[in-house]
Formats: sequence, structure tokens, C-alpha cells
Amino acid sequence: MTQYAMVIDLQKCVGCGACALACKTENNTALRRHGQTHNFADYQHETSGKFPKVKYMTRPVLCNHCTDAPCVEACPVTPKAMYKTADGITMHDDARCIGCRACQDACPYSSEEVKVGETSVISYNQEGEPYETFYTNKAALIPGITTNGAEVAAKTDNPPHRTRYNHPSYDDVRRSNITEKCIFCDHRLKKGELPYCVVSCPASARIFGDRNDPNSEVAKLLKKHKATVLKPEEGTKPNVFYIRDYSVRS
Amino acid sequence: MKIKRRDFLKLSAVAGAAATLGRPTLNAFAEDAKGAGPIGELPGEWKASTCQGCTTWCPVEVFVQNGRAVKVRGNQHSKQNDGYVCPRGHLSLQQVYDPDRVKVPMKRTNPKKGRGVDPKFVPISWDEAFNTIADNMMELRKNGEPEKYLLMRGRYTYMRDLIYDGVTKIFGSPNNISHSAICAEAENFGAYYTEGMWGYRDYDLSNSKYVLVWGCDPVSSNRMIPATISRLGDVLDNATVAVVDPKLNNTGAKAQEWLPLLPGTDGALALAIAHVLLSEGIWHKEFVGDFKDGKNLFKAGKKVDEAAFEEKESHGVVRWWNLAVKDMTPKKAAKITQVPAEQIIRVARGMAKAAPNVAVWMGPGAAMQVRGAYSAMAVNALNGLVGGVDNIGGTLPSNKVPVKHMPSLSAYQDEIAKKGTKNKKIDQRGTKGFPALKEGKPGGGVVTNNTATGILNSDPYEIKVAVGYMNNFAFSCTGAERWEKAMEKIPFFVHITTNAAEMTQYADIVLPGAISKYEKLCWVKQKQNRYAQCTLLQPVVEPMWQVINDETEFPWMLGEKFAERGFPNLIDFLKKEFKDPETGREATNSKEFTEYAVKYYTQDLWNGKDVGGDKINGWAEFRKRGMWNSDPQPYKKRWGGKFGKDEEKDGKKTTKGTISHKFEFYSETLKHALEKHAEKHKTTVDDIMATCNYTVTGELAFVPHYEPPFRHGSVQEYPFTFIDYKSRLNREGRSQNAPWYYEFKHVDPGDVGHEDVLKINPADAKKLGLKDGDAIRVTSVAGSIECTAKLWEGVRPGTVAKSYGQGHWAYGKTATSDYAKAKPRGGNNNTILPFDTERLSGGNVRNGGFTGVKIDRI
Repeated sequence: MTQYAMVIDLQKCVGCGACALACKTENNTALRRHGQTHNFADYQHETSGKFPKVKYMTRPVLCNHCTDAPCVEACPVTPKAMYKTADGITMHDDARCIGCRACQDACPYSSEEVKVGETSVISYNQEGEPYETFYTNKAALIPGITTNGAEVAAKTDNPPHRTRYNHPSYDDVRRSNITEKCIFCDHRLKKGELPYCVVSCPASARIFGDRNDPNSEVAKLLKKHKATVLKPEEGTKPNVFYIRDYSVRS
Repeated sequence: MKIKRRDFLKLSAVAGAAATLGRPTLNAFAEDAKGAGPIGELPGEWKASTCQGCTTWCPVEVFVQNGRAVKVRGNQHSKQNDGYVCPRGHLSLQQVYDPDRVKVPMKRTNPKKGRGVDPKFVPISWDEAFNTIADNMMELRKNGEPEKYLLMRGRYTYMRDLIYDGVTKIFGSPNNISHSAICAEAENFGAYYTEGMWGYRDYDLSNSKYVLVWGCDPVSSNRMIPATISRLGDVLDNATVAVVDPKLNNTGAKAQEWLPLLPGTDGALALAIAHVLLSEGIWHKEFVGDFKDGKNLFKAGKKVDEAAFEEKESHGVVRWWNLAVKDMTPKKAAKITQVPAEQIIRVARGMAKAAPNVAVWMGPGAAMQVRGAYSAMAVNALNGLVGGVDNIGGTLPSNKVPVKHMPSLSAYQDEIAKKGTKNKKIDQRGTKGFPALKEGKPGGGVVTNNTATGILNSDPYEIKVAVGYMNNFAFSCTGAERWEKAMEKIPFFVHITTNAAEMTQYADIVLPGAISKYEKLCWVKQKQNRYAQCTLLQPVVEPMWQVINDETEFPWMLGEKFAERGFPNLIDFLKKEFKDPETGREATNSKEFTEYAVKYYTQDLWNGKDVGGDKINGWAEFRKRGMWNSDPQPYKKRWGGKFGKDEEKDGKKTTKGTISHKFEFYSETLKHALEKHAEKHKTTVDDIMATCNYTVTGELAFVPHYEPPFRHGSVQEYPFTFIDYKSRLNREGRSQNAPWYYEFKHVDPGDVGHEDVLKINPADAKKLGLKDGDAIRVTSVAGSIECTAKLWEGVRPGTVAKSYGQGHWAYGKTATSDYAKAKPRGGNNNTILPFDTERLSGGNVRNGGFTGVKIDRI
């Protein structure tokens, strides 16, 4: 049985930000507001030691697509809006979601309200609000001379760089009053393409595949390296793994 | 923000799952029907262009759906970036769709100019805009003072020739002033006066065994970002990476070695590494040569007889040792630099072991210092000692990109123009205190930031009409407030810009410019990984309103207006010299002209001529591919005495590159240039050195040597040494109106999202009683900014670091705190960095600990 997984090679990762930004352009996620990051991909950083013996690391984070996913467990609707697909993706069905946020509450990697510097892999689209207010704002910097968000959106889309795609479970721009999160770009997987963060990583630090297939790159890497996961004590069995160290300095 | 229904559900979940069973029927009320049609991305096309978010100039592709730019990736043909972009590539989508872009030409109706003074801009037609510009410019010619026209170039493409040279010289002014010296000329100086190349080096990273990164963070900035990002992980396995930077940067965080030197002591560190290489007899003998009897005479503190040594590819190693190296032991350097002697020795030995597959990667941090010319030379000299110059895994020059040169414009210059262009330039280059010795020529380089001095003092004369494009000197130059005063003084200023930026606030006419990556047709050349490239910037989307290509359409439209006023020379030049190379047709409008001109320059890359590199069959294919790759740069091309070449032109003998034709540790080339400059001003080289704020006399002026750092502000009054660097999300100064910039600002080590932070060592913060998030004021002799305190161990006690980028008081709603009130968001480093120049190169000073600051809690 397929179990899609992602391996992040921290030695290759330079913490540049390309994957998270690429994801925002692929999945048209909104700008941060109401304590929601709307970042399917994000980063945690850690500085340790004292100058000059100081170490710094970046850890890219995303939905862990846990085998024992508390978000799925918590989803109160039937059939569940948050569910596991046959290939192990923690999938979200926009239509079924009632916006109760029980998934966000249950996920050990998410919070209902994040402060700057924190991450949350599940975000919630505020009830009754347009998807992206940045592009519904009609105020112009210099009226009659500069444009404004609404005018740009009217000539293009909201967001203007919206990547249009189809998927039976989720929209390219999600409606209000539902939660949203990384879906491993299933709209791409179904066409034989890799998740967009994977193909956009200039360091090739994100490796994606079926960890149950011993010939897959992820399976080989997991065999070769001692991999870690985030919050193993939660018992969620994440399918996002980290290998090697960000810094080679001892 | 919690919703009450949620709390209800939580309760009901506790009460029993059955309570929620009725919920799924909500399905029927879902707001959006699922997308009809097959699963996956809707149709679109990847269109080739070029990213100008930094100086890597990546060939890219933009995915266009239904006329909208939606995604960005590297050009799949690129041998430079392997088809990837860095974060800047994606970030640029918020630039093209920036809600604050200027959409119509405008003019100011409030004659008073100044920060916070509302220009009272009103929209005007393109016709009115160009009539006004042409009238103001022609007035200068009428009065016989065309030199009082100034063109300020910012970020450019190679179509710059037309606006920068074409317009300016045919009109009759010497004042085409580039931005080049704002951030890097001293670096080129270091390369020229050692290896004879005024230009940035390429790095053969994939084959390196030792990489010494100096004063930059190549995975974040500099000139091969995606290529370095994609290689670093493997380089760390195959090679040793050592990073010299006073603060911890991204590459340094990952590397085997971090050498956090005291700002401005680079020269001492480089000499100490040289000292180890020479005194331990581990320099690369195939490049440098050896003692005739094979016995190493380099002993600490001891002079050596030059005759005892036989050099190969280099010149003057013994003289350099005697003058500057012999006394700079690791122990002495450790005192100056605060880098432990053991680490200096370890790094030097590591380099020697890996030689010649060693790349010393010099960045602006090593060079853009008050006395940085010699530290730049010292750092680059290490490439010579380990034989990494033009070698496998080392540093390389660029392959040639066989494009056409600009046709001669002298036939289109009338008497007024010929006379006008002979005037001295407004940036005062070549004056006694500004040698600007580009490529060995006194006054050969630009002193960009000194242009403000020239304008303010009307020295050598007044500037009456100015045009600026894709530049924002009132934000991007150190001592930024001088530029505000200078701009207030210019009676008529035209800004071609995408946004109402700081410079725009002083404009009399504003023209909406194109976003180069998405809306402009032009070309650039660059190199990475041994491959040079020529890459097109193309209008991959239709602009949402009329914008102009600053470098081609501005000249054309101005040329038409000049012709209406009886001065057809400019439009004649553009029409006659840039015919379509395929049909021979003259352009009839600005768009046709743009295309013909790009075709003219690039024709040999696609017209079937064999120029090496990619074979491209015709213009249409070139536009579709968007780029041409050269053959790989060969190794050792300049070995065998080819670091310089004598040339004779019009009976005048000159040398391109080094005078000795070798890699120079003793720079005959610099000696010649300095003597020429001294002679021009009827004085001595010693006097020139003192005038240029250097401390040495005699022969030391001709070798890489150590100069103590120069600092503005006493340690007593300004106890902290300020470190300026570039955010990896900077698309130069132009991405700060993009919300994503703030959302991901924390990808700069030590930084915090949505904040502009000054990083302070926790020990210092404790003394100041500061904690994370405190609002602070940072003050230097030049000015004051407000920002946020961040305690971070990645900076040395006594130094503080802040990335450049934020602090716009104009530009847009996101970039500013309040545009109408000219209230900045964060603080602009250029407000506190005082104006100073590395005078030998003309380079604007940003580094080397030249700014002392004090910190107060607000």
C-alpha cells in the first residue's frame, strides 16, 4: 500500500524560503491575518550556543500527513472532511468542512492563533470574509494615479497570480469558514507531477515518494540515514522526515 | 478569532460524537461548487524571461494562465541555475501585481520639494509628459549648456546603451551616471589590481575542495545564488567551506569554519593566511614558482632576497612578503581580527592541502570599506597563492558573450553635443580626492554617491534637468538624506518608475515604467558555473495599463519630440542604426524599435553564425528559449603570462589587464595608475594616498597590505559597530512593498517576521537593559532610525547587525508606515550609514565597521 512521504535533507536545505513562497504561488494561500498564517509550508529556526561557538538552523515545516492523524480523528463530520486517502495523504474535503476547527485544535503542529515567529500547518479561513482582502482593498496610494488592490484583481484574479487548478476535494482558492492545509499537491500527484515545493526547492532538499516502495528515493534515504520527525512523543507517526544536520560544524 | 459555534462543537464532541452526525448535510450548502473539468492545472504556458531581483540575473520561465503570470521557475535550458530560482523569483509576482503601481504619467503641481511635502501629483497624458520633458531639455541646448542634463541609471539591462549613452551623448552631456559604485566597485578593484580583471569572478564550486567565502553569503546574495544553493549541500561533503563574516550568515551557519573577524580587519586576516602559506612553504608552486634552490626562505619577520625566487604565473611575491606579509603572523593577526591564531593556521593549511582546487570567494564585505581597496587585493591575492585562479574548482573569468557593440554615435553628435560632452562629470571622478581608477585609468570609474555632492555644490556646474530610471538613490545610497537635499535642488526631474518611491517625491514628471522581468523586452549577460549566458527579458504578460520600456521607448519617444523641435539626431540614430537585422527595415514606433534593437545586439546568437555554445535557429526560437549558453569556460586560459595584454590603438599603447601580464602580488598596474593620477594632479603618490584616507607611504601603496579600519563616530559616544548586509528577500530595494517579504523575513538568520530588527548580542542587551521586541532608536553621526531589538548570539558583543531593505518612507502602502505622512516602516540603514567612499575605486562604503552607533530604548 502506498504511503506518500517527504524527506527533508537538512544538510542540503539552506533555509532560503523558496519552497514556502513557491507553495503560496501554487496554492494561492492568503496573507496572514486573524492569527492564521495560511502558510502550507513554513520554517522554524533555532540558535544555540554562545558567540562565537554559536549554531543556527532552519527547519522547514509542513503538514506531517501523520499515519495516526489527530486532525482526522477529531473531524466531527461524516464522512469526514479531514480524512486519509488510500495513498496516505491527510486530505481535506472543502465541501464537507463545517469550519469547526476541531482539526486545528487536535493537531500538535497547529495552533488556533499563532503569533509572529510561530508556525501552524492548519489555518482557518475566517467566516464571511473575502479570501484575500489585500486585493479587495479599493484605497489608492495616490488616487487616480496609482492603482489599487481591487482594480488589479478586477483585471486579473484574486489573488492576481492565482494558479488555476481542479481537484475533486479542494479548490485552488478555498472558501470562507473552512480550514486549509498542505495536501501534498494532490492535484499534481494525480497527474504524475511532484508537489510544487519539491520541484521548486533549489537545493533539491525535499524528496517525495512512497516510503513503502523500497525502490523509492525516500525509502532509500530513510534506510540510509537516521531520520527524525517532529514531536515523536505525540505518537502521530508523521510522514515528513528530517535527515542529516543543517550545519556540518561540530 | 474564535467562533462561538466552534466552542459549542467542542462541547458536543465531549458529549458524544452522535451529536454531530447531522452536520454533513451542510455539504449541500457549500459556497463553491467543485471545479468542473479534469483534475490538475488548467492550461497555461511557461514563457521565458529573466529575473532581476539581484545581480545573478537568472534566466527564468513564468507560467502564464489566461494572460496572468502565476508561477516562476528557472529557465529549463539554463546551465547557470539548473532550472531553479531562489525565493526572490517567486516574490516578484507581488511586484508585478503590486496594488500601488503608478498607472499613468503624472506631473507635480506643488513646486515645493521635500520629504513629507505633498507633490500634489496630477495625471497627464503621455504626450504632455514628453512635450514637457523635451521642452526642458531643448532649453538647455538652446542656452549652450547641454552638460546640465543628468541621466541617473539604476538597475539596467544591456539595452542601457540607448538611454545611458545614446540619449545623453547625442543630446550633449557627459553626465550619464550609473549606479555601479553603490555597492561593489572596490571588489572589482581588488580583482583588477591582482589578476587584471575588472569584473566579478565566476566560481567552479562543483569541483572545489576548499571554498573560502569572504564578506558575502553566496546562498543569499552575490551572483550565483540558485547555483550555490543547489551545490552547497554536496560541497559540504566534498570540500571544506570556511566563511569570513563578522556576523553569522546562512553559509556560515552551515560551514565547517566560521571566522567572525572584527569588521574592517580583513586585510590582516588575509595577510596572516598568506603568511602561513608562505612561511610554511605550502603555497602552490605550479602557479607562484619556488626558491631557486628549493629552500624556503620565508621566515617570520625576515626579508628575503628577490633574486633567490623564480616566479611562474605571478609577479612580485617576494617583494610583497618583504613589504606587507612577513610581520603579519597569525598571532599578530589574531590580536587585530579577534580570529584565533589556531583557526587562521588551520584554514591556511586546509587551503594548501586542497590547492589548487580552491576558490576564495570575495564579496563586497571584504572590499566596500573606507580603506577597502587593499583588503580586496589581499583577499584576492590568496587565490594566486593557492593557484586557484582560472583553475579547476577555483575562480574563473567569464566566457565571452558574442553580442554586437553599440554602433558609433559620433555622426549624430552636433557641435553643441561634441562641446557639451567634453565637460567634466558631475560625480567629480578623477579629481584629486576621487581617483576612481577603473581598469587602470584615473577617473575611469563612476563615483555614484558623490553625484549628490556635485549637485549640492554645483561643482563643476549646476544640474538643471535630470532623468532617473529604475533607481532610488534617496533610499539606496548611504547618507541618503544628502540625496533628498540634492533632489530638492534640481529644478526639473523626471522619474521613470514602477512605484512612487523616495526619488519620485522630487519628480516634476513621473512616467510609469515596466517591471523588467514581466513587461520589458531586452537582454542581459551573466555567468555562473563556467557558463556565460545571454538571456532575454520579455513581456510575458500584457501590462495592465501603458508602461514604457525605460531604456528603449523613452529614448524613442523623446527622440520624436526632439525632432518636432528641429533636432532629429536622436531619432535618426535610433532609426538608422538599429534596423531589423533580418529585413533591413527601419522601426516606425517604439515597440518595433525595441524589438529591432534587441535583435541587433543578439543577432549572432541566433542567425546561424557559429559562435560556440547553444545553437539557436532564428529569432523566434531565441525568444521561445529565452537564452543562450556559452561553451564551458576553459581552465588556465590566462596562465602563461596572459593576465594582461598590450594593445595599440590610434598610436597609443595601453595594457588591458596587468602590466606584467602576470598575476600581481606587487601591482605594477596599480603603481602605474596611481602615478598617473598623481602626475595629473602634480603631486606624489604619498599625497594621493593621504588624500584618499589611506595611512601608508611608499611602496606599500602598490601591494595588498593591512590598513586599520576607519570609523565614523567615537567608541565613547557610539559604542557599537554597525554591520550592514542584504536580506535574502531583497529584490534590491524593490520588494518591500510585497507582503510576502514581511511574512518570511525570518529566513534571514536571527530576524523576525514582520519586524525590522537590530541584532544585538545578549550580553550587550543585558547591559543596556534591552529585551526582544523593544522599540529602539539607533543613532550614528549621520542620522537616526527606529527599529526593534533582537537578542542574538550570531553577532559579536560590541557589534550590531541589521539587514538593509526596510525603512521606506515612500513606495507604497505596505512598504511605508504612512505614505501620506512620509512615515517609514522600520529603518533604512542608509540613514545611519554616513556617506563615504573607497576613493581609489569610487566604491561607496557600506562595510568594514565604518559606522559607530548608539542604541536607545524608545
